[in-house]
Amino acid sequence: MKKHLMLVALVSALALVAASCGGDEEGGETGPTGPTAETGAGVTQGGVVREELTDFGFTGAFDPTGEYLGTAWSWYQQMLIRGLLMYPGVAGEEGNVPVPDLATDLGQVSADGLTVTFTLKDGVMFGPPVDREITSQDIAFAFQRINTESLVAQYGNYYCGTIVGMTCDAKSQDEPIEGIETPDDKTIVFTLERPTGDLLYRLAQPATYAMPPEVAGCFDKAGDYGRFLISSGPYMFMGSEDLDITSCDTMKPIEGWDPDSHMYLVRNPNYDAATDDVRDANFDGWTLTINTNLEDSYNKLLNGELDLLHGAPPAAILQQYLTNPDLQDNFKSEEGDRTWYLTMNLLVPPFDDIHVRKAANFVVDKAAMLQSTGGPSSGLIATTIEPPSVLPDLADYDPYASPNHAGDVEAAKAEMQQSRYDEDGDGVCDDPACDNVLMVNRNYEPWTEYTPILQENFAEIGINLKVRELEVGTSYTTIQTMNNLVPIAANAGWGKDYGSPYGFDFFLFNTAGLSCEGSVNYSNVGITEDVAKECGDNVVDAYNAAVEANGEIPNVDADMEACVATPLGPEYNACWAALDQKLMEEIVPWVPYRWGAANIALGDTVENYTFDQSAGLIAYSKIGVNNGLTIEEVTGTA
Amino acid sequence: MSQVTDQEVVEATQELGGAEPSSSIIGRTPWQIFWTRFRRDKVALAATGFLVLLAIAAISAPLIADLVGHGPNDLYRETLDEIGLPTVGPSAEFYFGVDTSGRDVFVRTIYGARTSLTVALLATGIAVVLGTILGSLAGFHGRWVDTLISRSMDLVLSLPVLLFSIGIAATCSITAEGCLGGLIEPGVSLVTGIIALFTWPYIGRIVRGQVLTIRNKEFIESARSVGAGSGRILFRDVLPNLAAPIIVYGTLIIPSNILFEAALSFLSVGIPPDTPSWGRMLSDAANGQLYTVAWWMLFFPGMALVLTTLAFNLVGDGLRDALDPRTQVQG
Amino acid sequence: MLRYIVRRLLWVLVTLLLITLITYLIFFVMPPTKPEVNFAGKQPTPELVAEVRRQFGLDKPVIVQYGLFAKRIFLGDEYGWPGLGFSFTTRDALKPIIFDRLLVTLQLAIGAAILWLLVGIPIGILSALRPRSVFDRAAMGFALFGVSTPVFFLGPVLLYIFWFKLGWLPGSGFYSIGQYGFEEWFMHMIMPWSVLALAFAAFYARMTRGNLIEAMGEDYIRTARAKGLSERRVVMKHGLRASLTPIVTILGLDLGALLGGALITETVFNLPGLGAFAVKSVFSGDLYAILDVTLIAAFFITFANLVVDVVYAFLDPRVRYT
Repeated sequence: MKKHLMLVALVSALALVAASCGGDEEGGETGPTGPTAETGAGVTQGGVVREELTDFGFTGAFDPTGEYLGTAWSWYQQMLIRGLLMYPGVAGEEGNVPVPDLATDLGQVSADGLTVTFTLKDGVMFGPPVDREITSQDIAFAFQRINTESLVAQYGNYYCGTIVGMTCDAKSQDEPIEGIETPDDKTIVFTLERPTGDLLYRLAQPATYAMPPEVAGCFDKAGDYGRFLISSGPYMFMGSEDLDITSCDTMKPIEGWDPDSHMYLVRNPNYDAATDDVRDANFDGWTLTINTNLEDSYNKLLNGELDLLHGAPPAAILQQYLTNPDLQDNFKSEEGDRTWYLTMNLLVPPFDDIHVRKAANFVVDKAAMLQSTGGPSSGLIATTIEPPSVLPDLADYDPYASPNHAGDVEAAKAEMQQSRYDEDGDGVCDDPACDNVLMVNRNYEPWTEYTPILQENFAEIGINLKVRELEVGTSYTTIQTMNNLVPIAANAGWGKDYGSPYGFDFFLFNTAGLSCEGSVNYSNVGITEDVAKECGDNVVDAYNAAVEANGEIPNVDADMEACVATPLGPEYNACWAALDQKLMEEIVPWVPYRWGAANIALGDTVENYTFDQSAGLIAYSKIGVNNGLTIEEVTGTA
Repeated sequence: MSQVTDQEVVEATQELGGAEPSSSIIGRTPWQIFWTRFRRDKVALAATGFLVLLAIAAISAPLIADLVGHGPNDLYRETLDEIGLPTVGPSAEFYFGVDTSGRDVFVRTIYGARTSLTVALLATGIAVVLGTILGSLAGFHGRWVDTLISRSMDLVLSLPVLLFSIGIAATCSITAEGCLGGLIEPGVSLVTGIIALFTWPYIGRIVRGQVLTIRNKEFIESARSVGAGSGRILFRDVLPNLAAPIIVYGTLIIPSNILFEAALSFLSVGIPPDTPSWGRMLSDAANGQLYTVAWWMLFFPGMALVLTTLAFNLVGDGLRDALDPRTQVQG
Repeated sequence: MLRYIVRRLLWVLVTLLLITLITYLIFFVMPPTKPEVNFAGKQPTPELVAEVRRQFGLDKPVIVQYGLFAKRIFLGDEYGWPGLGFSFTTRDALKPIIFDRLLVTLQLAIGAAILWLLVGIPIGILSALRPRSVFDRAAMGFALFGVSTPVFFLGPVLLYIFWFKLGWLPGSGFYSIGQYGFEEWFMHMIMPWSVLALAFAAFYARMTRGNLIEAMGEDYIRTARAKGLSERRVVMKHGLRASLTPIVTILGLDLGALLGGALITETVFNLPGLGAFAVKSVFSGDLYAILDVTLIAAFFITFANLVVDVVYAFLDPRVRYT
């Protein structure tokens, strides 16, 4: 149905992007060695990178088919497994553009844009105990797993409906897919339902990476394969060689990963660096230990007991990094391609009135919120939905500007005056709907710091927030459950799946994102009576009341459809930029307040620091470590 | 902190439970005896004085806030540095310094006393009433009623209190109304309810034990022989004899309930964020080891908590000594 | 006696079933967290949620689910016996995790118990021997302070003083013997042990003192004295024996309660014990993990109760009241 969308367009667009990349924005300030240091030159080989994390937080128990956690994607891609394409592991826009990995190139596209053919490199092996060469059938098998209902591929929607024969409801992972052919061991051909502008991005996602059917095929429930993951990259779980794969029943989880405490990686003996243009694989091992106390982890790092930490440090420790000249180079703040926002519910008073939503955008003191998050190192003040790193067109766009971003109470009151919740016209809400307005928040810092700020800000326009601070998972399920009708929430953030605006915000405002229990369109943009009916009487009542007071709920599905159909390139970005502006000014579902940074803290042992833009983490495949440790010394298994 | 709750009561049981019930007080003017003895206990008197002052401060918290000129939720963000750390410690403007939101720790500590005392006193009150009713029912009625109530008490005491509290509070936090159609709403009432729910068996057990002993006493027998009904005996003859132990145990449970509330708040359960609470303030200070840059955030609410708990313990001890017949014999 | 024990054992069983049932109802019937929605990812479609719900066994009626849970506990599951089920977040067997966590809690609880016995009982004895002396008053004042100081205040205060300011002790965190050796482990446990032990030591001191003072007034002590035994012998042999019996039983109960997780101490000192695991599981709605921890905690409590009662029933009734 979409006529001119061709992969050719994408490939040329990629070339343009790659050429234009260089001294832009974040690229220049990435540290002593710079982001594009020569492959392996002068970087210490060996050593073990020691890292800690407060929680794995996997969404699919680390089975690549279902796993939706960005951190996991980085570990897969940089260290553990390989697919047709991957991201190059560098900073800036270039880092968001796929490059070949197992494939020899970015694929041959037919003239009609419906057939894409890839050729695999020779000599790439699965790690122990599988020990055989990777074939195109192993790639096809990964798609069969995505297609299998019981394996719960969490982003299966990128493939099902796009590749012919993929429906995501197959009963068995052995069922072949019509649109994926493997004429020989080195060739794989995809047939598409329609030309798809960003297919290459989707083929760089880890769910599509090569998977050995002899092991993965044993697991037919979501997430179970995670403990048995077979390596195809430079590293593997410690103890992989002990996995007994003579039959499905003899396999015991690999010891190197304990989901409650640690993940230990060692070199994969079958890995051949000659087959790999991206990964340098300088260190010998990687230990990730769960430590629920971030302060303790940072103290260990400062003490030389660790080499690396991701995530924003607590303020008391951040202060040391910012003020101690010896430490300043050890702390990195990179663009995180992530937006933090307040979401307002279009169905629930007083936010059903667009003027109240606009007033909210004016009244929030974004500067105070940034300050309580840790200041500039935690990101930039957000003025629109998509961060400039994903959509540069809107870098200067700020429809609700206020002096120093500290909120403009007068402008907010002017909006409130126009709403039907301010009868006496003094700019302060005088309707009972503004009392005890439930706001869902997270129960840890910095979110708990937002509570008093937002309560004070909203009180200026007469909205009295009743804040509930919940655990992060609970906070999400609470706002995802439509019939909870949460008026406003501060717990949500959204990061890209991949670096195109589609991957950024399609589901957040599309009716496709609406569902009763797992709605990600928290604001209910475009909701119809039919959807409301499915989700309960109170949703219908709220819907009817909102429609009666404000008219039909605005819908942007058609706008998105048009943008998806635009070929990649300036036009594509302009289309999404126009949509963002429409959302910010005509629909106003959010108060975006921060474009989050990615924080990385390094020990003095880390060499060749490189930021992987696609993952928002350090580029594990590029860095080195000079601590001279062995995995046995670190894990105490000597 | 459930272990402290346990201890307190077990301790009290140890020290009082083995004693003969207060038959020796009967027939005298117990309150006068009590007062002369309590008055001699200077430490308990001082502790009582402290608690009275604290109660006055708690009641007049808004007044104090007015005098100081800072509300409990007013934000003085100019006292924070670029990354949101408090830069103003104890000073003429902010007696106890400011926290990471730029709020006055002194005013919040005073307001915290309100939360602490309200919750602890209310919860103890409910627990005492529930415990007395159910405990005396069990002790007086015996048989299946006793079994049912006693086993329920065992059951409640073996429940993992904090886990359940977290679970219940989280469950009731997801809508504006709370759960069960607004019956349980996160906040002071929920926390009070949870604490009362997990405290009444302590009172219940003790009351039951006392009733069991009293039931077989001669004066009850004689009341029975002149044809008094069960209810009449329970209310006229048994309950008045329970007053002393109930007062003592009630007082001794207050400090553990204060710690219980603080523990729940420390785990961010229940008390809403804009209601100052000592436990929550302590958790703010401990979060991210903030106390390493702002020790005052830890010290002041912590000391308020310890002193209040200590004072209630002292008063409880004093009450027990003054009401316990044994000390009379020895003294 | 045997009938009594059997009856009590049955009661333990009933209690455990009731406790797990209550837990089940609280965390399942009114679930704030929907693990199946979380597991279905960032864009959970109804189909995905339904599939995960089926795989987690959450699609069956509550009572059937509970029945299956109870059955697995008794008969074992795919991960062996007892069947503690799997975690919703990791899709992995819970038994090894809970076992590891329990080990950490054990190290904390037993170390603290040794400490509080070593501190509390001698203080109690010394106080009892010289009631109303300066030492007694100071010790009892300290004890009262001890029971009034919560772990979540004392812990950070000690950390501030001994770790941050003086640097005498390492900060919070768990350093297992296996990976870091005895000394690291020991140094990191000193503060958690002390903080957890303080309230108990205070309580044991008060109890020892009270019991001993009471025991010293008993007839048989007077008899012993009259027989001309040395005061030291009287105290050690007769007084202590009588007054320490209740302490041993209380110790049993306290340890039982602690093994279910010293939740706040573990949180403050960042120890990966059972209590910390329980909190994490409650927050993530990991139903079987919550049930397992509740079950284990309740088991230790009720079992300790049972042992204490049985021991008491065996002992001379006079012992009970001294």
